[in-house]
Amino acid sequence: MLGRDGIAGLVCLGGSLWFLALTRGLPHPALVPIGPGFYPRILLGILVVLSAALVVSDLLSRRRAAAAPARYRLVLLAFAIFAAYVALMPMLGYRVATFLFVGALQATLEPPRGARWWLVLAVALATTLVTYYIFERYLSVLLPRGRLTGF
Amino acid sequence: MFGSLLGSLGDVLQLQYLIPLTIGTLAGLIGGALPGVTITMTIIIVLPFTFGLDPLAGLAAMVGVYVGGESGGLVTASLIGIPGTPSAVATTFDGFPMARRGEPGRAVWLGTWASFIGGILGAFFLILTTEPLARFALRFGPWEYFSLFIFALAMVAGLTERSLLKGFLSGALGLIVTVIGTDPIMAVPRLHFGTEFLRGGFQFLPVLIGIFAFAQIMTDLEHMARGRPQVQVQTSSLAVSHLAVIWEILRRPFLLLWSTLIGLWIGVLPAIGGSAANVMAYDQAKKFSKHPEKFGTGIPEGIIASEASNNANVAGSLVTIMAFGIPGDAVTAVMLGAMIIHGIQPGPLFMIQEPRIAYGIFAAYLLAHPIMIVLQWLLAHVYLRIVQVSKSILIPLILVLCVIGAYALNNTMDNVYALLLFGVIGYLFVKFGFPLAPFILGVILGDQIEINLIRAIMTDSDPWLFVTRPISGVMLGLSVLSIILALWQHRRAEARMAEPAESEVEF
Repeated sequence: MLGRDGIAGLVCLGGSLWFLALTRGLPHPALVPIGPGFYPRILLGILVVLSAALVVSDLLSRRRAAAAPARYRLVLLAFAIFAAYVALMPMLGYRVATFLFVGALQATLEPPRGARWWLVLAVALATTLVTYYIFERYLSVLLPRGRLTGF
Repeated sequence: MFGSLLGSLGDVLQLQYLIPLTIGTLAGLIGGALPGVTITMTIIIVLPFTFGLDPLAGLAAMVGVYVGGESGGLVTASLIGIPGTPSAVATTFDGFPMARRGEPGRAVWLGTWASFIGGILGAFFLILTTEPLARFALRFGPWEYFSLFIFALAMVAGLTERSLLKGFLSGALGLIVTVIGTDPIMAVPRLHFGTEFLRGGFQFLPVLIGIFAFAQIMTDLEHMARGRPQVQVQTSSLAVSHLAVIWEILRRPFLLLWSTLIGLWIGVLPAIGGSAANVMAYDQAKKFSKHPEKFGTGIPEGIIASEASNNANVAGSLVTIMAFGIPGDAVTAVMLGAMIIHGIQPGPLFMIQEPRIAYGIFAAYLLAHPIMIVLQWLLAHVYLRIVQVSKSILIPLILVLCVIGAYALNNTMDNVYALLLFGVIGYLFVKFGFPLAPFILGVILGDQIEINLIRAIMTDSDPWLFVTRPISGVMLGLSVLSIILALWQHRRAEARMAEPAESEVEF
């Protein structure tokens, strides 16, 4: 049965073969000896060999890493909240999206009770306002405005 | 040379450069002291603040972060036994026992002064060798550059601790990232799947920020879920006789010089940094010691070796980036990105085309050390309290600054989407045990490898020139040698080494 390395090797192998197939569509210029597909094909060829070697070495290896107990709930939640932040920013704008993101992630990482809610909201508001003013006013970075909020 | 350096010292002493340098050093000290926040993470956080600054001011701030970060880690390493950064791991071995024995001031200041002296010795190396090395690199044609970059990549992949195969695979994956988008010679779009997002390719800073920030933060979240104890800091007096501490360091000249040289050498090697230097210097100090059995009990030699080497490592990394345009570690990789944003291309021509910036970096590096001493003296107690700030507050703040850093590169959300994409990839790399350093170096060098390969072939289609041109041939030979050496070391280590614990981030 394939282990962690074998799975990674198979994914890399599949991806590199797919990319290799895609390079066939690249043009062959008449005036220069090598075209835009020359270097990617060499690289992808190397990647195919290395990925296959990883799969084979995993199959031959008798030693298996002991799986650590999975603690992915917070990681998955954090990724989901960050993805939502990135997706919502063009619609809500930097200020609204950042306030919601900082508040939501804090509340997820350390669920607040009672008066701690005020701390969560204060940190979210302070992060949003301080970063906005520093970057917009002093460092000339025009942060995203929301399509829906205009803010 | 020294006239230019004196002029640059005068420049950097002006407030417009001195303030960013001081703030950068303070940020480095705090970031370095915070367990779980590495120097790379700190420089990523500082990066967006430098976009609006004069290039030298921005780079001075980054040099400050780098120097401060290498020294900040020793405070938490000595006082609470948790290294604030991987560069201070070996400091913990003797710093913490010394502090527990009732000498916290001696432990902290031995480390701080050793950092200072190691860093200043490193500065001589930086100032004296960068220009000759850059002049040597001016003789390089595309064959030599191609071989140099291959050598750098082979060495980094070979230094991977876990699986050599994964090291090479990681480097190759980094190179693949750079072939997505338009090709550098004819501007033909490649592997873009018909999307506008991929048509222009990936800028390397969002890739680097995503990979490093998420690999670290998400691993920390796993630890949070496992309920790691919160850091409790006991702040006792750090008062000490500074002259006595300095004398304690200076009366061990061999240890000091050898540790500095190790730090410099590790710094010069591409893509590995202080995390390797301090452990290696500690190990060497123990091997050369007349009383190796005392190491780990709180002796000054352990602290001096670790701290002198990690600050000297900064100078070594700066040499590589300034002379060859190859980052010595992740921190200089971010600096490379910042330079490119300001239209500065590090490499052999850098010293000639941008002498003001180059000597300004030397001056900032020299001045960052006394600033670090002053800040350590004034504020060690203050920033030790910041260490206690909850991660649930720090992590969202760091991620917001990562988003701004990626977005502000050219005011587009595409870089933020790339940040998220490579954040996921970075975390998967950690989970599947792939090292991050070869991947990042691949992303940084990919374009240059392709451009130089194609230039060489277009100049002369004879592929044997890569081997028969002396410098190129030597570097390709060294690449093969480093791979053989790495294979031999892995074979030897495999028999006795148990599988390392999962979820440790290998940079």
